[in-house]
This record gives sequence, C-alpha cells and structure tokens, in this order.
Amino acid sequence: MKAKTLSWREAWNGRGLFETRELVTIGLFSAAAKAASLTLALVGGGMNPLTLVLKSAVQSALVVVLLAKVPKTGTLTLSNAVGMLLSFLLMGQHVISLPAVLLGTVAVEALAWLAGGLARRPWLAIPMVAASELVVRLINVGVSYLGVREQPGLLAMVIVVSAFSYLGILLGLAGGVKMAKELRHAGLIQD
Amino acid sequence: MRALSRIEGLRGASRLDLRAETRLLMTVAASVSSLAISEPQALALLLSFSALYAVIEIKPKTLLIAYLFMGVMCAVALFCVWAMGFVFPIMRNSPMSMAISPFLRLGVTMNAILPLALNSRLTDLATALGRLRLPGIVRLPLMVTIRFIPTILNDLVQLREAVGIRFRGRKGFLFWLRRPLTWWRVFFQPLIVRLIRSADELAMAAELKGLEPGTDFGRAPRPFSARDRATMLLAALAVALSGLTQIVVGSAF
Repeated sequence: MKAKTLSWREAWNGRGLFETRELVTIGLFSAAAKAASLTLALVGGGMNPLTLVLKSAVQSALVVVLLAKVPKTGTLTLSNAVGMLLSFLLMGQHVISLPAVLLGTVAVEALAWLAGGLARRPWLAIPMVAASELVVRLINVGVSYLGVREQPGLLAMVIVVSAFSYLGILLGLAGGVKMAKELRHAGLIQD
Repeated sequence: MRALSRIEGLRGASRLDLRAETRLLMTVAASVSSLAISEPQALALLLSFSALYAVIEIKPKTLLIAYLFMGVMCAVALFCVWAMGFVFPIMRNSPMSMAISPFLRLGVTMNAILPLALNSRLTDLATALGRLRLPGIVRLPLMVTIRFIPTILNDLVQLREAVGIRFRGRKGFLFWLRRPLTWWRVFFQPLIVRLIRSADELAMAAELKGLEPGTDFGRAPRPFSARDRATMLLAALAVALSGLTQIVVGSAF
C-alpha cells in the first residue's frame, strides 16, 4: 500500500510522531511538575536548600515515570519544551536559555537513540534525565554569568543553588525508578 | 491554599488592559536588552522606563512587596560577595559602579515580569498560544498543562487533607523532615497513580472527540489596541535610548 504523503501543515504539527493520548500524558505530567513545584515553593519558601532538593526530586521522578509511560524518542524534549514554555508564558522565565536547552536535550535524545532507544532499553531513562538536567543547569549558569558578569562573585550563589537542585534530581531518579517498577507491577504502565 | 489566595490578593486590575502577547514581548525585550547592556547609566535609564510600566500595571502594594523582597535578596547577595572577598581577594577588585549592574538588571526584568505573571489570565495565554504558531505536538500538551494545573493543585490539597486525617496531630514540618520516605509514599505515589489514571481517561475523551495535534484552541484573539501599539512603541524607544546611552558612555557589550 502506498504511504500517504504529509502536507507541510501536518508535518509541522508533528502528525505521526506522537499519538493524542501520549501528548495528553506529557501535558498532564508537566502540569503535575509545575503544580508540585509551586506548592513546595509556597509551603517551604523558594530559596531554602531543602525545598530546592525536594522540588527537583519530584520533578525528576515525574520525568522518569513519564519516560516509562511514553518510551519514545522526543518525549524528553517535548516535556522540557512544554515545561519551559509554560514558565515563559506564566513568569517570563527562560527567555534566553530556551533555545540552548532544547538543543542540549535534543543532543541527549540523539545519543539515547544511537544507544538503542528508550523502547528497547528502558534503563536509558536514568542517564537521559541526569544528562539533560545537567545540561539545563550548565546553560542556566552560563546565562546567569551574562547577568552578573560585572560581579562574578554572585555566580558562586547561582552555582550553589544549581548544585543543590541537581542533588535533588539525582535523588529523584532513584524514587522515579522505584515508582515506575511499582506501576509496571500494578499494570498501570504497560511494557 | 491559603498561600494561593494570598497571591490572588496581590493581583490587580490592569490599567492598560494589554494583550498577553504584548506583555510577553515586553518581558522578552527587557530580558534581552538588559543582558546586552552593561553600563550602569544605561541600565538605570532602562530601569526607570520599566518601573514606569510596572507602576501603571501593578498595584502599588504588590510592587512595594516585590521591591522589598528584591532589596533583601540583593543585600544578602552583596553580603555573601563581601564575605567571600576575604577568602578570594580577586572578588574585591570589581569597582562599585559596575557591581550594581546585576541588581539594576534584576530590577528591569522584575518590572517586566510582574505584569505578565499577575495580570495575564489563562484564557488570554491560551489565545496567545494559538498566535505563536507553535507546532501542534507542542501546543496540545501545553494546553493540557495550562488547563490542568488548577485541577492538580486541588488534588494536592485533597492529598494533604487525607494525610492530615491519617497522621492526626503529628504532621508538623519536623515530623516529615525525619521521615522523607513516608512523605514520598503518602504524597508522591498517590499523585502519580491519580495522574496516570487521569491521563488515560482524558486521552480517551480527547481521542473520541477527534482532538489531534494541530487542532486550534482558545478564543479568537481580540485585535491589538492603540494602548498595545503605544506600549510597544515606547518600549522600543526605551531600549533604543538605553542602547544609545551605552554606546555614548562606554563600549557596547
């Protein structure tokens, strides 16, 4: 049977890359990450190290479970893009870093694809999330340097905050893997 | 929930009633131009223009709280840098006139972000999304995210109440600090299970309704008003003037 040629509009909209249910799942997980970080920031105060670690742990665990639920190349990029665009729309954040972060995440996904892809090797979710979050933090530190270049000492604080939040990411990875296992066992995530 | 209602109290009726796209554009212009400019005089000029925009758009009480918060943060940051100067003498070398640039930059960005964060409604943002011509695979999850944040916040409140019943009288901060794994099990795991069930139900409903990547959402956008155009023109003028000051005062970055 001859394959249907996509129009430029269908190609731009990503027809055939993701199904509607997968996109809805990605959207819901992004909403959960945003709602959880908002709640934790309001309850614990945004700038204390404990809240910072906890927020990042919840965020990375959510991404690991999402990658178990939608194990496709592009899920991580799409999830990052949605999260960052939402921050941009609601708070004007990530104006400068958005393109660089997306490029970094695409590179991480490309490496994972070369290593066999998420569908065949689900454990790749762990290095993918760890690497993409590291890229995000490095780019954020770089952008922060542009903002404080006249007083480089201030960058030390940015680095400390990024380090705490990355520690949370690493802790959340363990929680996410355990959670994904339990959800598979419960039949809520299909292999 | 109390904290959320406190945020609601900070919102105020926007005097300019700008479109969400105009506010987004103002935020982008403030972020990019404040990063490109490095001379304190040029940044001070940009800060005064952005402060004028914030004063018109934001309730004075909200603006005062934001400036007080920023002042405290800047004081803490300066203290840390001063203290680190004793350990690393190289940090004491930057002249005071240049040292204030990061804080001026922070002020410019804050003045532009506050109207966007406090005065934009979710429906306006949904309409703006349609105008941004994003690919359908980004627009659909983004719309789901925007629509479901309040629902998930409500779920979190219900979870907190359920935990309150389960751990009656022992739910203080220290109790959870000593039991992070219990916190994870009683807060995070029910949230994930609820999320996965909601995702399945919502996806089925979306597919049955024929929703797919590329479907248009939101209302028809209202046209740009004279106020929108005047605001954008003044913003362009402010950026140009600050750029000119940067060139005149010192070397451009």
